[in-house]
Amino acid sequence: MTRATSVLCALLTACGSAGTDPRWRPTGERTPRPGGTLHLAMEFSVSSLDPLVAADEVMLYFTHALFDTLVTYEPSNPDVPTAGLAFRPGLATAWTISDDGLVYTFTLRPGLVYSDGTPVAAADFVWTLDRQLQKPGSALGAMLLDIAGAREVVAGTAPHASGLVVPAPDTLEIHLARPNAALLGILAMPAATPQPVGHDPDRRAPLGTGPYMLERWDEGERVVLRRNPRHRDAAHVYLETLDFLENVPRDLQFLKFQRGEIDTAEHLEAPDALWLDAQPAWARYVRTGETLQSYGSRMNVTVKPFDDVRVRQALNYALDKSHSVRLLQGAGVEAHGILPPTLPGFNPALAPYPHDPAKARALLAAAGYPDGFDTDYVVMANDEALRLAASLQADLAEVGVRVHVRSEAFATFLPELMSRTGPPFAKATFGFDFPDAADAFDLQFGTAGIADEGASNLSFYSNPTLDALLATARAERDPAARAALYRQAETIVYDDAVWLWDYHQKAVEVVQPYVANYQPHPVWIRDYSHTWLDLGPDGEPVPRGAP
Amino acid sequence: MLRRVNRIFARRSAVVGGILVGSVVVLAVLAPWIAGDPTTPHIDQGLSALGGPLPPSSGMWLGTDDLGRDEWARVVTGGRISLFVATLATLAAVVIGTGVGVAAGLAGPRTDGALMRFVDLVLAFPALLLAILLAALLRESSFAGSLAPVVLTLVLVSWTTTARVVRTRAAALARSEAVRAARALGATPWRIATRHVLPGVGSVALALAAVTFAQMLLVEAALSYVGLGPPPPAATWGRMLYEGRAYYRSAPWLIAAPGVAILVSVIGFNLLAGGLRARGERR
Repeated sequence: MTRATSVLCALLTACGSAGTDPRWRPTGERTPRPGGTLHLAMEFSVSSLDPLVAADEVMLYFTHALFDTLVTYEPSNPDVPTAGLAFRPGLATAWTISDDGLVYTFTLRPGLVYSDGTPVAAADFVWTLDRQLQKPGSALGAMLLDIAGAREVVAGTAPHASGLVVPAPDTLEIHLARPNAALLGILAMPAATPQPVGHDPDRRAPLGTGPYMLERWDEGERVVLRRNPRHRDAAHVYLETLDFLENVPRDLQFLKFQRGEIDTAEHLEAPDALWLDAQPAWARYVRTGETLQSYGSRMNVTVKPFDDVRVRQALNYALDKSHSVRLLQGAGVEAHGILPPTLPGFNPALAPYPHDPAKARALLAAAGYPDGFDTDYVVMANDEALRLAASLQADLAEVGVRVHVRSEAFATFLPELMSRTGPPFAKATFGFDFPDAADAFDLQFGTAGIADEGASNLSFYSNPTLDALLATARAERDPAARAALYRQAETIVYDDAVWLWDYHQKAVEVVQPYVANYQPHPVWIRDYSHTWLDLGPDGEPVPRGAP
Repeated sequence: MLRRVNRIFARRSAVVGGILVGSVVVLAVLAPWIAGDPTTPHIDQGLSALGGPLPPSSGMWLGTDDLGRDEWARVVTGGRISLFVATLATLAAVVIGTGVGVAAGLAGPRTDGALMRFVDLVLAFPALLLAILLAALLRESSFAGSLAPVVLTLVLVSWTTTARVVRTRAAALARSEAVRAARALGATPWRIATRHVLPGVGSVALALAAVTFAQMLLVEAALSYVGLGPPPPAATWGRMLYEGRAYYRSAPWLIAAPGVAILVSVIGFNLLAGGLRARGERR
């Protein structure tokens, strides 16, 4: 090889690897190092940090960091798919449940204070839960209706739910009118975080008990959280600040990540996931985790042709779920229902509807649509949803159903989806508020979830048998018996093909090599409370080639 | 000497441009016979195990896109739509532009001024912004599912250049002895316009048509790129660029294929326009 060609080769190699391999490396230190800033970016901007507002997907970035709850969850673990779902003491050190399942007694952790130093009292929980019941349209309030006296508060005939009792300053008792086995999960939702009695939450100035507190918020640009030194477990919170950039599109997030401007990139776009997969040097920094997100398509079962169960089954047979999973770069599993495989009640005896176009055509013919039909299909306007919609369109075309894909912005898509007069056939997602089958079934398939506008039951599906079964399951305290009831419920909505079941998505993120102890959490999605930065002695990341 | 070089170049450029344009048109016209189905996804065979586009191979010599569709079929068929839209829009724009230009050139100062100020008004607005606004508005209309919104948008933003240039030429012709003589002999304005002015502006209009056509291709691509082009799954070059943009590292052929197609066509039409103009000037 001549000198010129060898120089050229060296140059080409340098260019080829520049910006593709990680620029830094971990130091190998095992003891967490306190301090430092974690830089993050998100696709949208947050609209409110008021804990009493039902958390939307964007608020979830902050709720776990800002607000602690009575009971909380164990950390996630990459090696155990179900890790992160079991309850752990939070603001309460212990709780007992009476034998009839009607009285829950929580003992508060001693010495708890809010981030401004105000002590946390048991009465704060009563005040906050009453507020949620009083607020019209509160999502949490609707879940608390089994508390004794709650319905009177909702109706406006009483200012306070009689079932919320403070027998001692550090004790909270919750008396239920009817047993509700999902109560702990409901109380672990961020909206059930306490606020001091008389405190009026401000969307711009959240007051919380979580590991972080709001330092700065330039709306639409960035949100900065600082470590809360008064947190109950402050010794194990390491990062000094969390710096979130708002309104950064996902593909741009990945570019910023590669340039080292942000420390994690999440929900990777297909091209970035594919590129990353081709870089073995990055493999050990990719974090994959289970989520509690289910994807499918809602069919309004009160509207032709979706009122015919044979049509709904036909569409379930027509869709090839393996296509969806492949278009997600494998970051998903095929679904037969709304419950992710990690949740109790998931029925392993049910298999996703097989891809069987012949059977789909026969069912359509039997339902009176031998030549198929035309239908609109509405999705949110993003590349991933449109790609999956194109695949669905092709699968359904194979059985004669002519799908016209229409995409809409998030702001208009969601209200339309929750309206009785909205598009009958549309992409639907269910993200669990807490890891319990009750959440999905009560909201999505229970008759109580039906409303002309703002319906949580997106299919407008109503089945008295299922309603009765769900009521029994809600009262059942034995976990095994309860799971068995939800397996029955799964079979009912499976046979009735209430949704066009599709897939459960996994979380895939990539972190810089120096980001230690970070793993997506199934409930909180993001959990930075024990993350730390494995930096060099000078507080800077160690370059990859450095000794 | 310089003039000779220019002349040769002009003649050559027309020929080269003609060949480029001709081959693009021939490929587009023959698309149904030389390429497969451009719109049906092939998730099983058309994608890698990880769900990524397949690189160029002997079977699919431009590879596949993010839904496993044959990129060659999409480029060739996309050319059909892109060229069809651009042709229609160019024809309409040149006809309107020439009409307005000739009318302004022959009419009195008041009509001329009004027409030209209106042209100024349209020109003053950034063409792409106007196009995005129009396309977004037209998308709400009843013919949203067709190509009509795109074509209409393209026509509305592009007729002005032709009108401006043709008007200058027409005004010059209006002062010519031939037109004065015709007027003195009592010829009607219509006869003057069709018999004396239109033939004079014909070569200019033809050259402008070629340039406009190249611009139409680019604006159509830009509109499709911002999601306002012909509705999916139709392939157009702009939409292909848009859909492939994020794959510039993992599947660069997704932007190379439509990119080269647009490049070749635009260069072709520009060369053709240069050649035609030079020829017109010689006359």
